[in-house]
Amino acid sequence: MNKTILKSAFNILLVVGLLLIPRYVESPYALHMMILLFMSVAQGQSWNILGGYAGQHSVGHAAYFGVGAYTTMMLMHSKGVVPWVGVWAGMAAVVVVALIIGSICFRLRGPYFVLASIAVAEIMRLSAINLTPLTNGAEGILATEIPAFKIGATVVTDFVTKVPFYYIGLFLVLLTLAVTYWVQHSKLGYFFQAIREDQDAAHSLGINIALYKNIGLVISAVLTSLAGSFYGIYVGFVDPPTVLGLDVSVQIMLICIIGGMGTIWGPVLGSLILVPLSEALRSNMVTDLLVKIGMVNADSRIGIFLKENLSHAHVLLYGILVVLVILFMPDGLMGFVKKLAARRNREAV
Amino acid sequence: MAVFLQSLISGILIGGVYALIGIGLTLIFGVMRVINFAHGDILMVGMYLTYMIFTLLGIDPFVSVLITFPLMFLFGGFLQKVFINRVLDALAQNQILLTIGLGLIMSNTVMLIFTSDYKILSTSYSSATIKVGGGVSVSTPLLISFLITAAITAALYWFLLKTDTGQAIRATAQDRDAAQLMGINVKRMSIIAFGLGSALAGTAGALISPTYYIFPQVGSVFTLKAFVITVLGGMGSVVGATLGGVLIGITESMSAAYISSGWKDVVVFVLFLLVLLFKPSGLMGKSRT
Repeated sequence: MNKTILKSAFNILLVVGLLLIPRYVESPYALHMMILLFMSVAQGQSWNILGGYAGQHSVGHAAYFGVGAYTTMMLMHSKGVVPWVGVWAGMAAVVVVALIIGSICFRLRGPYFVLASIAVAEIMRLSAINLTPLTNGAEGILATEIPAFKIGATVVTDFVTKVPFYYIGLFLVLLTLAVTYWVQHSKLGYFFQAIREDQDAAHSLGINIALYKNIGLVISAVLTSLAGSFYGIYVGFVDPPTVLGLDVSVQIMLICIIGGMGTIWGPVLGSLILVPLSEALRSNMVTDLLVKIGMVNADSRIGIFLKENLSHAHVLLYGILVVLVILFMPDGLMGFVKKLAARRNREAV
Repeated sequence: MAVFLQSLISGILIGGVYALIGIGLTLIFGVMRVINFAHGDILMVGMYLTYMIFTLLGIDPFVSVLITFPLMFLFGGFLQKVFINRVLDALAQNQILLTIGLGLIMSNTVMLIFTSDYKILSTSYSSATIKVGGGVSVSTPLLISFLITAAITAALYWFLLKTDTGQAIRATAQDRDAAQLMGINVKRMSIIAFGLGSALAGTAGALISPTYYIFPQVGSVFTLKAFVITVLGGMGSVVGATLGGVLIGITESMSAAYISSGWKDVVVFVLFLLVLLFKPSGLMGKSRT
């Protein structure tokens, strides 16, 4: 009992703290980092619902991320539809896409499902490249300004600073966390887990497999599309490789794999590791650090090589992390921590 | 009619190379039940290897196959022994993720070394063609690579059907446990199969290097194509992969000619989904439970 009170108190404090950050932190870079973190948690948590709880490891989530981002951006760019209306269109489009994908891919199992999910995402990417009149092809869509958010005539925010994005991002995180929590503690979540553990057993117990897989997919896809729309508007630019590429799908999945699939805190943990690491590489922080501590001379050949190349190396890092995690802690960090804790308990007894 | 014949011929020619890629993937799947998502990246490594041999030593890409094949075999054997071997009993998704990770490491390491610029390996015959008549012409490098492919495929069939090692590989693919009980060293067979699969992918990379752009991310296209080919042929079936490769080659060049080259990959993926839906065991696959 005491523990639960402590836990909820901690959670409330955490949320309040996060809500207050923009009041005291003015550095746009710090806020930018937080926004990236939020986006990553939201993406990971959305994937987690389908992949972690229902056990359907989609490697095609870029399809939902990209369709959400593209729909919102296309409507804003060509029809002048404001994003908070466009987001709904994005979600609607994604539901349609998800149901089509679900009806095809969920007839397949295991590796075949993975392959089909990749194929569908690739079809989306290639379509975005080829449907030039709609999507502006490989050039992508650049939004120069975002219309201000108005209720009636009063302007709520005009999106000039990063603060509104911070709150939208935080809202997304809380939303995905809430949905995951709800899934975990509802009948739906138990159905998902039954399907994950043994599909045939679940089926013989009378669970409608196709129905529940599709429900899981739609929930996961809609949340991913929200993250996608948020990405599009925040960055102001979408093109086929950055929102629909295979890398995007892998990245989304990776957040959960590293943190731990099928746990609420897994995607949070995964993001806390992945985002700072890849940002540190991208912004040349690592090279600067190596130079500062005197390990590398900035003007030497190695220094110049690192400076030029390490910023592209974050994907290499993803690769190394995946391999290490799969080989040495296949249940992700959360699983690893749990195992350590269990071992310590055993030793204590 | 000339357009039709032209696309049919170039489809078959490129299909030969696709078959090589597909056979490699299907061998690996057959013996280990592992879907190798790094297959295209292994092909990419083969392309860069060929490129280096060509620029540094001046050896023709088609001749350098003799060097690439054994080197890529060793590379594949190494990958199997160090990484893949550890996840043979793991969940399918973990195997998939491991190979995705390995692929990312390969493509990004190559990017660090060679930058992401497109490289072109231009030989004297890169854009040469042979006129066949009736308005139909055949690209010389494609024709040579097809002939080499056919020779390698024939040798491979001989190896799998007639030699002891080949039969042991097929036995392992049929039933791993039974093969082990019969005294076959399945661990070694796995290493050989992965090495062979990588060697075939690397060779395919070498063969297409005179006609394709060489860049670090080229692999993902071929990984996806390799899946389409193997699923179409039936996972684990070497004959199926051969047929599947040629079929995909023809489908691609036909849709490039009659629809548009931008949509040809979409056509291939749609075909892939249809096969998955209606005949998931593929053309030659036995339906498994």
